Amino acid sequence: MHIPDGFLSPTIAIIMFALVLPCLVWSWRKVQATHSRSFTAVLAISSAFIFAAQMINYPIALGTSGHLVGGTFLAVLLGPYAGMLSMTIVLLMQALFFADGGLMSFGANVFNLAVIGAASFFVVKLLNRNSENTGRFASSIFIASWLSVVAGALACAIQIGLSPVFTSSGGIVVTIPSMIFWHVIIGVGEGAITMTLLTSLQRFNPSILGGLMLLRERVKK
Amino acid sequence: MNKTLAGLALIAIFLIVLIPYASNDPDGLEKTAESMGVTEQEAVWKGLMPDYALSAINNPYLSTLTASILGITIVLLLSIALGKAVDSKKTPATKDTPRN
Repeated sequence: MHIPDGFLSPTIAIIMFALVLPCLVWSWRKVQATHSRSFTAVLAISSAFIFAAQMINYPIALGTSGHLVGGTFLAVLLGPYAGMLSMTIVLLMQALFFADGGLMSFGANVFNLAVIGAASFFVVKLLNRNSENTGRFASSIFIASWLSVVAGALACAIQIGLSPVFTSSGGIVVTIPSMIFWHVIIGVGEGAITMTLLTSLQRFNPSILGGLMLLRERVKK
Repeated sequence: MNKTLAGLALIAIFLIVLIPYASNDPDGLEKTAESMGVTEQEAVWKGLMPDYALSAINNPYLSTLTASILGITIVLLLSIALGKAVDSKKTPATKDTPRN
């Protein structure tokens, strides 16, 4: 879902940078205020893992593929704020070194993948509440990660659909249904992988789920 | 640090095993653009390793694998730098509190 350069109009690209910047500053401050001691190691490994996972495209249907985005994974593992920063690092390195996602469209990509991914934390929180039930935790994760991919695709569809390159061939009337169609399917993969990863981590090393602890703390109050 | 290296090794194994199976089909966005007749333009900035490949290595598997290992290393180092930067701004009083 990484938007390459040339797809977005400069205006939309700039608007997305302007929207994303305060989110990143806010996250940076939140992380500074709340991070735990073992934070750096978990942040580093999970960022590297998400970079690797995003390279592995899995086929979905009709000659189309998708890959794990990992926004919900990072948000539950690290908390929404560190999760957003972690994803932003991954996206920045992809754009700078691997031409995966453009530099002009970097703001839009951060919004669609990092900000929306981080926001899915609050979907998990809403659905899971204070439940210790594994099944409920798993289904909350599945729904939140599916939703993060579909919401990211919708945002992406609007951004490209309003840009001249796409308006000439139909604009948002075409981009929205097409993006939603593919990502409803890709999201199922996202949900299944994220659910498997996080429930396994919870079983074998629950102390690593910093975001989950944050989630429980907040709900208790 | 040992745990970090162990994690890095696990991710490398993940890539060694899965890279051959990764799909080359277009993703949802590429498919949408394709169906609308929009072609990806020549990028202004091509990056150092466009499409996760090193032009110096002919074997496509080894080329992608090397690029990916470089990628995870860069991401890891930058994340450690971010973690350290966050930590350094913390006031000494709170820093010494275990597991705050």
